[in-house]
Amino acid sequence: MKQETLARLVVLALAGVASIPLISGPHTPLLHARLAEEGGWTPDVLHAEAGEPFALRLTSDDVLHGFGVGHTDIEPVLVAPGTVTDVTLTFDQPGTYTYYCTVWCGLNHWRMRGIIVVEGETPSTAPPEPPLYVQLAIDIDAPHPADVTPAVRPDAANAPDAAVEFSFEQYAATSPAQLFAEFSRQPGLKDLTDAQRWNLVAALWAGQTSPAALVEGEAIFRQECAACHGQLGGGDGLYAEALAEAGEAAMDELAGTHDMMIQAPPDWQDPAVLLGASPALLHGKMLRGGMGTGMPMWGALYTDAQLWNVVAYLYTFQLNSP
Amino acid sequence: MNLRRKKLWMTVTLAVLAAAVILIPAPALAANPIERFVMVEASQYAFTPATLHANPGDTVTIELHSADVAHGIYVEGYGVSAEAQPGQPVAFTFVVTESGVFRLRCSITCGALHPFMLGRLTVGPNWTLARAAALAGLAVLAAPLAVRRETA
Amino acid sequence: MNRVSLLQIPWLKAALKNRWPQFTISALLMAGFVFAIVAGLVGTPVGSRNFGIIAVWIAWWAILILAVVPVTGRGWCSVCPIPMAGDFLQRRSLLGPNGGRTRGLNLRLPKLFRNIWWQNAAFALMAIFSAAILTNPRVTALALIIMLVAAIGMSAVFERRSFCKSVCPVGGFIGLYSQVAPLELRVADAAACASCASKACYNGSEAGYGCPWGTFPAGLTRNPACGLCLECLRSCPNDNIVLNLRPFAADLEKPAARLDEAFKAFLMLGAALVYAAVFLGPWGNLKVAALAAGTWPWLGYAAAFLLICLALLPGLFWVAVRLAKRMAPAKPHTARRHDFAQAAAALVPLGLAFWAAFSLSFVFANGSYLLNVLSDPLGWGWDLFGTAGAVWSPLYGSWTVAVQVGVLALGAFGAARVAQRAGARGGLHPLPVSGYSLALTVVMMGLLL
Repeated sequence: MKQETLARLVVLALAGVASIPLISGPHTPLLHARLAEEGGWTPDVLHAEAGEPFALRLTSDDVLHGFGVGHTDIEPVLVAPGTVTDVTLTFDQPGTYTYYCTVWCGLNHWRMRGIIVVEGETPSTAPPEPPLYVQLAIDIDAPHPADVTPAVRPDAANAPDAAVEFSFEQYAATSPAQLFAEFSRQPGLKDLTDAQRWNLVAALWAGQTSPAALVEGEAIFRQECAACHGQLGGGDGLYAEALAEAGEAAMDELAGTHDMMIQAPPDWQDPAVLLGASPALLHGKMLRGGMGTGMPMWGALYTDAQLWNVVAYLYTFQLNSP
Repeated sequence: MNLRRKKLWMTVTLAVLAAAVILIPAPALAANPIERFVMVEASQYAFTPATLHANPGDTVTIELHSADVAHGIYVEGYGVSAEAQPGQPVAFTFVVTESGVFRLRCSITCGALHPFMLGRLTVGPNWTLARAAALAGLAVLAAPLAVRRETA
Repeated sequence: MNRVSLLQIPWLKAALKNRWPQFTISALLMAGFVFAIVAGLVGTPVGSRNFGIIAVWIAWWAILILAVVPVTGRGWCSVCPIPMAGDFLQRRSLLGPNGGRTRGLNLRLPKLFRNIWWQNAAFALMAIFSAAILTNPRVTALALIIMLVAAIGMSAVFERRSFCKSVCPVGGFIGLYSQVAPLELRVADAAACASCASKACYNGSEAGYGCPWGTFPAGLTRNPACGLCLECLRSCPNDNIVLNLRPFAADLEKPAARLDEAFKAFLMLGAALVYAAVFLGPWGNLKVAALAAGTWPWLGYAAAFLLICLALLPGLFWVAVRLAKRMAPAKPHTARRHDFAQAAAALVPLGLAFWAAFSLSFVFANGSYLLNVLSDPLGWGWDLFGTAGAVWSPLYGSWTVAVQVGVLALGAFGAARVAQRAGARGGLHPLPVSGYSLALTVVMMGLLL
């Protein structure tokens, strides 16, 4: 009977040890990443203190995801399925930050977002200015076709020498096609050929950016935009078709205007589409998002300066910079 | 005695045939090495095309496109791999040397059936299946030799 | 009779007669079983990083099908932790007979259950959900829980290990393939058993409880009926139990000719073929269909699976057997059904080879996940042995293909050999069954290579 008692103790002890995780749980709660369809980030609201190190343990429950925090210089990390990635963040400024998935994980990848509320003494700052498209009263949802388009691709390198004053405000508010039209009426410029005037437009556009800025804009475009908009902006990215299908499916069930339904992105390889858009309009679209068209809101993730670089990069689909 | 002898001869014959099936090299191809470019689309849980073909000496470039979530491609036997996110294709190049059949495997956990996301790279004429089938045939022919006659 | 009893080795006999070695292994496996359930329930839902999936479907499965079954037959059943709780419920004892008292209703298993059709059904049920069971830790945990609860429940109602004998989906195929193993538990001298008054091996005694599998060892002719629990070794008053080394597939020389076992063989054969196509094939849609339990594509997959296993393969085999009968020189009067069931014995070595070859394909390719889950069994960021971050690296190469071809050729050889022997006995020409086996082997090779 003594042996039997020992055997029972062995069985109870082994079963008990094996069951410990049922009651213990992981040491530190994990931040779970899942496909947006499966719930996205859990939890999706986090709280941190400004100036204090904020440790996070990230794991994915399905496929490869990534973790990045908008408006910070925190290096994004990969979040691999079934493993734990440790990161420690420090926020200097209090405020509400958006964290997001940095690996394309499907049509609804961009819905994988959460917020980190960073508490702390709020330094007295001026209220933020309204974005430029609001100040300029641009209706960014209205169609904006170019009235005129170049016969050949404009090239900044072949622009004629002409002393033209061109400020950032002018740049932001004017579409290339509008500027071309203005030039056609301006005394000193109306004698140029169409091609020369278009080259001048391209040169002025190039003057508003820099090679380094274009490199950053291209990097962001490839990372965030190409999956829908296409590598060359043709509106034929990997998910373009699925977006259109999702839109059609939604319209069968919902009443709404067709302009604002989920749709395939515009074709920027078509000069009439891209050259009719002013930088402030494109900037506004990115900042605010498409309000139902499937275009995500990027304002929470990228700074104004980063978005202006993307805008400058977009025009390289139609305008050659030197 | 006679029966035993016959059995012995048959065993030897089958053994020689089996050795031949295993050892005789495949006829060499006279093809000159070329450069091959293949676009492979990866989606849950398959590669398209699923079978790639090349000849020994060829330089193969695989451009991997992921169509839904992040996938990778790992070429068994060569140990080369690449990983691509949707919308961001990645290309890599390697020279195939050994002939045979090599598995392509997804190298990023891409969902429940990720461990079973497979393709194939066949290098040179694929004689593996024919040899294997011939061996199985010989094995079946050998079976009667391994049965002791109960009345003998 | 070219048998050697391993019990001639004194230390081995002592180790097997003592209850502690067997109990210790079983208790450790019980801990692993419980932990697999726990990990499946609360660990990461990512299968390849969850102890439940990797321990069960990579480690256990590889050892079972590549080593334990081909070498020891029902060796797994000998230490399986699943009946432990039910046994305790019946005997109130983990070691030994506890005075022979039994609790629970202790009913005799109804005749309806005294066959392996239930095991076939349980296996088929698990098989059509296999893609989910194999990859989803929660589903694996659920399957293990269901097996445990069913085993305990049946122990409470029926006598002995009724779950193991007639329901357990794993026990069914282990039993089928144990006929190939070169190991058997038998009696040394059947006459001694006939004159034995106590029949302690069956009825139980102070020295040991009665056979949990309800088998009288003197009547043992085939391995499936014996769970290798070794209790008769302890209870036999005449020291008449032997554990023999024997030629491979010895049980198949005189096949049982049971239709339930024949269909077990077809289920296993069909499952190996379908799994090879689903898991190792290039068809993504097929994989998705197999995984998406409850959807229309999955229903199609399940229907196709069952049709292949229960209609197509047996149907073609029926034709082959009819042909074999026609071609045979002497035609004894036997029922067609009997011919069919008897000839199906050839599919036992064939199916085992299919499963071994199929398992070789995925076990080694995914073996490195073992390192990850040993250090971080729940995907919670632990690193017990410093291997949590091990990079996936498939242990797979041309040697795997060579071994697979060898195993499949050996399976075809074994099938043809059984067809020769059983055919000579039952008046069936061996050629059609051998041809059937060869054809399926080539199909399997096409799927695996």
